[in-house]
Amino acid sequence: MGQQIELALRQSMHRVVPMLVSFLPGLLAFLLAVVILAVIGVVLAIAIRKILTVMRFDERLAARQTPGVLTNVSEWSPSSSPTLLLSRVVLWLCVLAGIAIGLSAFNASFSDNGRVSLFFLPYVTHIVGATLLVIAGTLLARFLARSVLIGAVNAQLQYARFLSLGIKWLVLVLTAAMALEHLGIGGGVVELAFGILFGGIVLTLALAIGLGSRDLVSRSIEKTIEKPSALNPNVASTPETAQPPLRHF
Amino acid sequence: MSTSPAVQPAETATQNAALTLACLPALTTEALDATLSNLRRAFPDQPILVATPDAAPPSTANVSVIAYTPSATSQSSWVPTAADYLNAFTLAREHKPRAILLLGPDCGSVAPETLRRLAAGVLDDHDLVLPRYPVGPHDALFNSAILYPLTRALFSHHVRFPLPIDAALSARMAERLATGAQRLTANGQGDALVWPVAEASVAAYTVRDVAGEPRTLPAPNAGDLNFLLANVAGSLFADIESKAAFWQRARLITTPARISACATHSTHHDANPLDLAPMIESFRNAYTNLRELWSLVLPPNSLLALKKLSIAPAESFRMPDALWARTVYDFLLAYRLRTINRGHLLGALTPLYLAWVASHLHLVDGDPATAEQHIEATAAAFEADKPYIVARWRWPDRFNP
Repeated sequence: MGQQIELALRQSMHRVVPMLVSFLPGLLAFLLAVVILAVIGVVLAIAIRKILTVMRFDERLAARQTPGVLTNVSEWSPSSSPTLLLSRVVLWLCVLAGIAIGLSAFNASFSDNGRVSLFFLPYVTHIVGATLLVIAGTLLARFLARSVLIGAVNAQLQYARFLSLGIKWLVLVLTAAMALEHLGIGGGVVELAFGILFGGIVLTLALAIGLGSRDLVSRSIEKTIEKPSALNPNVASTPETAQPPLRHF
Repeated sequence: MSTSPAVQPAETATQNAALTLACLPALTTEALDATLSNLRRAFPDQPILVATPDAAPPSTANVSVIAYTPSATSQSSWVPTAADYLNAFTLAREHKPRAILLLGPDCGSVAPETLRRLAAGVLDDHDLVLPRYPVGPHDALFNSAILYPLTRALFSHHVRFPLPIDAALSARMAERLATGAQRLTANGQGDALVWPVAEASVAAYTVRDVAGEPRTLPAPNAGDLNFLLANVAGSLFADIESKAAFWQRARLITTPARISACATHSTHHDANPLDLAPMIESFRNAYTNLRELWSLVLPPNSLLALKKLSIAPAESFRMPDALWARTVYDFLLAYRLRTINRGHLLGALTPLYLAWVASHLHLVDGDPATAEQHIEATAAAFEADKPYIVARWRWPDRFNP
């Protein structure tokens, strides 16, 4: 009995150790490629930043462009500096190139062992894709939540925070479902859970808006009969209210 | 980029001698007639050239009227925009007047005295002359809350309406404004606002504001305060950001000699008080919901003061001038640093502005003299706090309690 167990373990080790031996060089090659390209990227980014600073690139570009315009590069550059934007783009391009080279090296090291390679490599790319999805979804959720919160507060809705939270979780649930589907986890369970959650949030929001928007509707009607409101820039007075006109502009 | 004046030969002599060019916006026939009549009365002995985008009526002895095709168009209906400044300069380049009167919408209601004072200001060697129209204690609130105090504190000019409806420009001032306006119109931003006082300050040109007779104040097209506030405040903040190198330098603030003599507010006292409860309630609602967002922009001291304000009863609702000045400066800084999305930032400023309006109206209680005093006190608070914005602009990461 003992001998049989020992034999089984030994055979198992004989199968796993060569697999690990063939896996580690690929992993090391991947890490090495990423690190080397990242270092090259940092060096290039520093060099580009110094050259462009000496050339007064930001000032020259700003002189040619109009402040406040969407097409202005400075408007969406980090810290309003196109130099910083360019250097960061170069850095991240190098890092992405390193990842691509590393994955290629990883794939090459598994060319003689199709089973692991076939399972592992596509999964790595799926993980990267899912991570990007989650990052984009989180950013979008935060942006939309703030937009809704500010819009609702300025429309004087009492349930502004609730609306904002609803929108945020709507986008987060959608993002999570997309990421899980991308990873191939859960299958039908994820779809079903997503449908229930999404439908639940939409129904809750619809009920909240339907029940809570009475104030908004009444204010809208009040506006049409020209009742003064804080949010109208040029409010006129009516004989009934006899209030002095209020002009913001 | 050139305009196409259709001038009759008989008028050429008058045009060559014209000291003043009046650029009019598109007007109805009645408004155009009223404007021309006022111009005739304003300058009875002086040749004047009037440029209108509409069909030109016949010229008279001293008023020569030409029709022009605007080289840039604007949809704005309440103040002259980049396109208007560009058109004015294009016309001035062709006719070489000494003074350019750029008149805004509803200019048929501009009194001859105002027109005369504006032109005389430029002929007396000032580069930019702006009218100070009398307004009621409930008028031009955004100007009183942000535009005037910020312009006065940062650009050291006591011009009461830095976003003018009408303006008189020297040739070099028109050229300077057109240079910036051309960039905007080239980018399809003909409707963009122009800040002539700031531009004149940077160029070290002379600026003067003159008392104006009452005029119909044109109202903005857009009915939504949030959009208008974001548009105007965003434009001013962007202009301040682009001129940071100028206003950060210490300079003496010119003392106004006219504040007490020429009150900007009309003498009419509003007997019926406004219902301020909706504005105060709006601020309280905003404090509950936007506190976290404001905490990204405002320091703890300001947040504490806003908390106290949010729980203050309506009868004693009063936003301190120093708190308002500090709040606007912090929003300006956050605009520069992009602490949060700029659209969100300007949206989050609206409830705070409404709180200032409620506080101002509560204090003023319909009295024009009190309103004038409070607006001057607010502007003085901005001036007193200028070292704060200069320091934080240079070292934004420094500890700020």
